[in-house]
Amino acid sequence: MSRRAVIVGVGHTDFGKLEGRTAWHLETEAAAAALSDAGLGPSDVDGLITDPGPAQGILDGITPHFLRLGAQLGLDPDYAGSELLGGAGSVAIVERAALAVEAGLCDVCLCVYGDSPLSTPGSFQYGRGDEAAFGFFGAVGLHALAAQRHVHRYGTTAEHLGEVAVAARAHASRTPHAQKRQPISMDDYLASELLVEPLRRLDCCLVSDGAAAVLVTTEERARDLAQPGIRMLGHAQAHSLSTYASPGHFDALPAARSGPKALGRAGLTPADVDVALLYDCFTIVVLLQLEDYGFCKKGESGPFVEGGRIGPGGSLPVNPSGGLLAEGYGSGMLHVIEAVRQLRGEAGERQLPDAEVALVSGHGLGMNTHATLVLGS
Amino acid sequence: MSEAQLPLPQPDALTESFWQACRRGILEVQSCSACGHDFLPPGPCCPRCWSTGLSARAVSGRGRVFSFVVYRRTYHPGMPAPYVVALIELDEGPRLISNVVGCAPEEVAIDMPVQVRFEAAGEFSLPRFAPAAVDGGDA
Ligand SMILES: [Zn+2]
Repeated sequence: MSRRAVIVGVGHTDFGKLEGRTAWHLETEAAAAALSDAGLGPSDVDGLITDPGPAQGILDGITPHFLRLGAQLGLDPDYAGSELLGGAGSVAIVERAALAVEAGLCDVCLCVYGDSPLSTPGSFQYGRGDEAAFGFFGAVGLHALAAQRHVHRYGTTAEHLGEVAVAARAHASRTPHAQKRQPISMDDYLASELLVEPLRRLDCCLVSDGAAAVLVTTEERARDLAQPGIRMLGHAQAHSLSTYASPGHFDALPAARSGPKALGRAGLTPADVDVALLYDCFTIVVLLQLEDYGFCKKGESGPFVEGGRIGPGGSLPVNPSGGLLAEGYGSGMLHVIEAVRQLRGEAGERQLPDAEVALVSGHGLGMNTHATLVLGS
Repeated sequence: MSEAQLPLPQPDALTESFWQACRRGILEVQSCSACGHDFLPPGPCCPRCWSTGLSARAVSGRGRVFSFVVYRRTYHPGMPAPYVVALIELDEGPRLISNVVGCAPEEVAIDMPVQVRFEAAGEFSLPRFAPAAVDGGDA
């Protein structure tokens, strides 16, 4: 009988400025919360995969992140590793956990993301190699290049980008643990400082200290546990490593390849998705994904999001917990966790009616990496 | 612009020739002798056919703005805002990150024709781009 992977536990810390606590404090807290959610104990964990955030990095000297965390948690697992796919990393480690569990490499795999960039100042102010000599700094410049292309090719407006930012805050106002619960208006968005035109401060995700963890096991094991197993219906990755040399690098994300693959494995189409948890480091990335996942036609994401379509009560709610723009920067792990909560029906005030299929995405580095998970209740 | 404070390029075994050519006022791409593919940044093999038969080739320095952004916030004291960072697509095909100079940020547009203009930065000569002059001029 084939082994099928399910998510049985989720947990996270607060997100925001968490002074006096290292990423290790946060990661161990999140891991314990995920275990407790599933009704499991430390001795049940036999797999560990980590997605260290950019401020701590994958290596401390020659010590990889999973080794130090594994030692702190007292684990001697049958399977372990760290992933380095930037913002696609958390979705990718949950996928990797599913593969490991289904292959029989381990039975209960703990997936952990964590970082504390607010206690490590300057970690997000990196230049990009020789490009820093031209004043090309940070992820915002890179994504602004994509936004400018969208403006040029399709007439996308500031208000279209603003719809994504406004929707995220409206969602987060119903998320008790969100870092930014104060709603914003379109006027607030338009008054927001231009950082790298065409992107404004409110187009950019939050920077957060925090950690989040997910526990993956088999469907069979899940039958005796505290929570119903959330099924992994499909998953896929796709990457664009050629960057500038790739003809469509700034016009379409690798989601255009990973999306149909992941949904296809689940026997589903975009129309079957009840809730979309789309990686939202910048508003433009949400617009591109709406197109590249096939929720709307190429070039039509601007008009698509008009009128609050992706906000609370809209026909396609995107990131009902607020996402990276408002809930907190949790790589993609908070997106996975919100999908699980929506599918379990435990999302409280923001619970969507009849949420049965969730699509979760991660996107990372210089728009290079992408990972897709399709989850079902 | 207090150039000395800006981060400078960090040539390595692969990019040393590119930066040396810039000092001589030449924009260089790598060219594959097996398939004819021209590319940037320089690498150990042709990214199209994986041949290692590579040579440096001087190009025209003409291109167009593939996309651009305007830094409105100053992130580095050596590069006060506003300034334009652009992805330039050379006539020969390769793309590179650079600046558009010689016009106001508001005048820059996607597909605008541009011409390379070398500007000193410390020990380096940076290939920046200015609007292509219709009757000679810059070039
Ligand atoms: Zn070749």
